[in-house]
Amino acid sequence: MKIYPKIVTVFFLAIFTTLAHANQNTLNIYIWGNYLPYEIANQFTKETGIKVNIIEYDNNETMYAKLKSLNNSGYDIIVPSSYYVERMSKQGMLLNLDKKKLTNLHHLNPLLLNKEFDLKNNYSIPYIWGTTGIIINTKYIDKKNVTSWQDFWNKRYKNQLMLLNDMRDVFSMSLLSLGYPINDSNEKHIEEAYFKLKQLLPNVKIFSVDTVPNIYIDEDAYIGMAWSGDCKLAQDENTNLEYIYPKEGFAIWIDSFVIIKDAPHADNAHKFINFMLRPEIAKQISVALGYSTANKDAVKLMPLASQRNPILNPSKNIMRQGRIQLDLDNKTKRLYEKYWEKLKINN
Amino acid sequence: MSKFIRNFYTSCVYIFLYLPIAVVIIFSFNNAKHSLVWQGFTLKWYAVLFHDTALLQVAWNSLALAILAASIATAIGTLISVSLFRYRFFGKKILHALIFILILTPEIVMAISLLLLYSFLKIPLGFWTLLLAHTALCIPFVAVTIYSRITTLDTAIFEAALDLGANDLTIFHKIILPLLFPAIVSGWLLSFILSLDDVIISYFVSGPTFNILPLKIYSMVRLGVKPEVNALCTLMLLFTLFAVIASYQSIFKKKLK
Repeated sequence: MKIYPKIVTVFFLAIFTTLAHANQNTLNIYIWGNYLPYEIANQFTKETGIKVNIIEYDNNETMYAKLKSLNNSGYDIIVPSSYYVERMSKQGMLLNLDKKKLTNLHHLNPLLLNKEFDLKNNYSIPYIWGTTGIIINTKYIDKKNVTSWQDFWNKRYKNQLMLLNDMRDVFSMSLLSLGYPINDSNEKHIEEAYFKLKQLLPNVKIFSVDTVPNIYIDEDAYIGMAWSGDCKLAQDENTNLEYIYPKEGFAIWIDSFVIIKDAPHADNAHKFINFMLRPEIAKQISVALGYSTANKDAVKLMPLASQRNPILNPSKNIMRQGRIQLDLDNKTKRLYEKYWEKLKINN
Repeated sequence: MSKFIRNFYTSCVYIFLYLPIAVVIIFSFNNAKHSLVWQGFTLKWYAVLFHDTALLQVAWNSLALAILAASIATAIGTLISVSLFRYRFFGKKILHALIFILILTPEIVMAISLLLLYSFLKIPLGFWTLLLAHTALCIPFVAVTIYSRITTLDTAIFEAALDLGANDLTIFHKIILPLLFPAIVSGWLLSFILSLDDVIISYFVSGPTFNILPLKIYSMVRLGVKPEVNALCTLMLLFTLFAVIASYQSIFKKKLK
């Protein structure tokens, strides 16, 4: 009986020592779930001795709320989407990057630099990007019949569509089909887009955002919206799937590295971003995740099939049709939200 | 006929409770990365899991945190319920009520208030803030579990012990603890599970240096939960099952004696 307390004490001490050790030379990354392969972080630790803590979030709003609620959050690097880069830089939450430390900057694809959300890339370095397009199952649907967003409204696809459960993406789709830009803030146009979406509801089978590959792989829906990376992942398990860039245009999203203004390890953060800009590292990540890399020299290192894959690396001609999602002002955002809720209730 | 209806009803309830768990276990053996259709049996995901040091580290963090929080909460909760039962002091009724109110408080309220507190005191978020929060979450549950058991005890035992010259410490050690042992174990298990699967409070009070499993799984949802998570959940389920069986056996054996 007497030995139990000793065992228990030793056990607890052991747990404490494994958990509560403090390492000064660290880097804290707050990033989308599954967005940074562990091996890559490990390699960085091996080369520099900097320990990497990876904490993950599942959407921009969650990340933003957490950072806003804390003064000294302790995070160094985060990876927001383009419109959150814009919002956070306007609110002074981001550090002006020291480009002298980023010697690998020249590897980046110029098509993704100096965009409206961060005109001189003072705050953000593009990491991964993709598009929102149409996915179809060629076993059930003829490729020739689907070339534009407008085709979603065809009565033939009654109760067959899958739409992304993402307000911005769905409104972008509707606005584009009406011939308006995706960042439109004209109230009339947004209302029009809403009424058009309402007409689409009989065709919609499901709204989803977290199980998109499953839905297309298991053929629960034959046609619908998808992010390019999800389509790439789905194709690996169902070869009948095809990705289509709609002719009215499509949204491009870019997730970028930014450094928090009061980052405790800003120097390590610059080192890490520079490390991630190496072509061979960027290539490994793109291959592992199925999403496009912003590193043009990384593309050259890929196998020829991947280089020419229109999902992973669309040509300049296709890219010209794409538009980047920008931040909406609060009034427009509320309008979007109002119509989005109405749309979901009607469903 | 009525027997059939009764059995049918019972089976429905149990199927409803256990089917989702069964699905997780079955899909941990499914030979497909994303598909939710059966593609053949494989043990691949278990192999992947044991090579995924990041996921295992996070799982270990969660387990260790749960063990620590449950143990501290059980120690404090036991003392609370014993003192509420044994002693008279000023404000006892209010303290008693406050414990119950904590159980009914929505977790989100506790989460926000803890976050505000930490932010006000400038405590960096991480392991310690999580441990404190989880302990605070578990204490009322332990106190209530043990209190409901302690009220069934015969107070004459304590008087007899006092008569025979035992002091408070001896009574606590020799009488109360052994009698309450089953309740303490169930209080500990309850706390362990509460801490292990807590998302809401953890989400607010976790920091950049310490990640735990529920948050990791939650953040994976958007880009697809990997099948190895199913494997991990299956293993954890087995682990909990063994813990429950072992604790119940030890309690029942004691009772038989």
